[in-house]
Amino acid sequence: MTTTAVTTKIGIRDVRKIFQVRDAGEPFVALDGVDLDVREGEFLALVGPSGCGKSTLLDLVAGLTAPTAGEIVIDGTPVTGPGLDRGIVFQQYALFPWRTAQANVEFGLEAKAVPRRERRERARHYLDLVGLTGFEERYPHELSGGMRQRVAIARSLAFDPDVLLMDEPFAALDAQTRESLQEELLRIWDKTGKTVIFITHGIDEAVYLGQRVAVMTSRPGTIKEVVEVTFDSRAGDLRADPAFGEYRHHVWTLLRDEVAAAQVQERKAATSRG
Amino acid sequence: MGDRRSAPATGIALSERAPQELPTDIDRREAPATPAPPAAVEPAAVGPVEPASVGPGERATAPAPRPSALARRARRLASRAVTKSGAILLLLAAWEVLPRVGVFDRVFVPPLSEDLVVWYGLLLDGPLPEHLRASLIRSLSGFGLAVALAIPLGLLIGWYRPVADALTPLLEVFRNTSPVALLPVFTLILGIGETSKITFVLYACSWPVLLNTVSGVKTVEPLLIRSARSMGLGPLRLFQKVILPAAVPAVFTGVRLAGAYSILVLLFAEMVGAKAGLGYLILDTQSSFRIPEMYAGIITISALGLLFNLLLLRIERRFSTWRTT
Ligand SMILES: Nc1ncnc2c1ncn2[C@@H]1O[C@H](COP(=O)(O)OP(=O)(O)O)[C@@H](O)[C@H]1O
Ligand SMILES: [Mg+2]
Repeated sequence: MTTTAVTTKIGIRDVRKIFQVRDAGEPFVALDGVDLDVREGEFLALVGPSGCGKSTLLDLVAGLTAPTAGEIVIDGTPVTGPGLDRGIVFQQYALFPWRTAQANVEFGLEAKAVPRRERRERARHYLDLVGLTGFEERYPHELSGGMRQRVAIARSLAFDPDVLLMDEPFAALDAQTRESLQEELLRIWDKTGKTVIFITHGIDEAVYLGQRVAVMTSRPGTIKEVVEVTFDSRAGDLRADPAFGEYRHHVWTLLRDEVAAAQVQERKAATSRG
Repeated sequence: MGDRRSAPATGIALSERAPQELPTDIDRREAPATPAPPAAVEPAAVGPVEPASVGPGERATAPAPRPSALARRARRLASRAVTKSGAILLLLAAWEVLPRVGVFDRVFVPPLSEDLVVWYGLLLDGPLPEHLRASLIRSLSGFGLAVALAIPLGLLIGWYRPVADALTPLLEVFRNTSPVALLPVFTLILGIGETSKITFVLYACSWPVLLNTVSGVKTVEPLLIRSARSMGLGPLRLFQKVILPAAVPAVFTGVRLAGAYSILVLLFAEMVGAKAGLGYLILDTQSSFRIPEMYAGIITISALGLLFNLLLLRIERRFSTWRTT
């Protein structure tokens, strides 16, 4: 990427999200003053303490919920609802258990009214891309966790969105599966040039995947700092690179205070409820 | 992988339903990928009904086993068959032996073999086929009508919050009233003819179908709804492509329960002012002291119930191959 022609793909402008919680006196402020520009074709990792509003922010970008204040624009147009220009990958796969892998990948294409034959071909193509050739007719319960997440990724890629929104997609997987999926995701991203927002609570994962790592504060969530991550070379064991360790430490330091603050909040909430 | 869960007792009572906001801000706390099948919902019991979730449990996708493994599996299957049929064989043996050794009075409990001989005679050239026919017509009409009415109604109630809110209290009242208690009302209003009997079966069978359908729609994994909505599905397509298929197993559980009910409750109806039917046969033979014939009627009913349930179970499995628990 050259820094000369940086265009903003997703603009998050002073976004605030308040939840009206029943039988609670004060409104619940989940996000407050979130400002973030995601560049075209960028891989942005988003980290923050648990409960700081990462998933809430992703929902807003997806158009599943509307911000209380502020706005989100994609290619300069405000988001008003969900659309096939954005694909989401959830931590818990969210595959339709009554559909085979193939039929799951076809789901978004059906919504897009792609003809049947082309649907089948595209689904096969994307299942192949995530390394699942030969598993087309398996039901989700016949697949391992890693394979299910591959299907979910294929499903989101199949309808060819510009933006991929991923909410801790690898958090439920074992370490080995996670690493191989991370690598594959980078390969796919490289090949397809999508803009990716990748939520994680793993600092290593964020530094390994992200071109930039956005760190959020504890609730009400806002962007604390955005760290540019650049390596001279990604060849070899990147995680052993001293630069990797430095980025890691930097993000860890940013997060430490926020995690502590979040825990204090949680304890306070628990005692006031109980 | 780690998300196979045993079925929790969710969504039983309509009043205990979790708040659900489908069109907007769907609450999305981390949830398992595969929807936990809702526990079967039974209305006020009319009689002993088998535990509801004898779901398609042991379907494995194992590769073709090698000979030694095959032998081991055969042995395991054989031992399972013995375990499973053991209790029934014991009962049948007791039925045969105990009257003969004088534990039971042979007049009231004739040995099984004698009952079977009488049953066979009644079946070949006796009134049994006619009674069976009368009962089957009533059962199946009531059952069929119940399924045809209760599924659409259940979908409606499950999907439209206002409909659910309006109907829930009423449903609670009826759900907790045994249909059998209402039998006299049916006969008062509709007489003692076929109409009242079929309506009665229809009424009793509607509840399991209705309640299971409602809970099936309500307990659709919110994450799946979110996922479908994120792909731009509107309410109608969401219903067609997500809610409906997700609810199928629960609906079938209800249908299967209804099948059992259709035979159970019909007997009551046939014991009140009927001139044909298995219930009539049992009551009539008992009061005129034709005891072996009475047992012939009971055996027929029991076999009929088993067969019907087996058939519905088969259908249920076909429609929910994807269900893992
Ligand atoms: N629909 C909702 N209604 C009320 N509160 C919500 C809702 N969704 C999320 N929250 C609350 O908002 C906060 C942020 O949630 P979330 O975005 O899921 O956090 P994260 O993904 O960073 O762990 C949490 O405290 C959560 O309980
Ligand atoms: Mg989250």
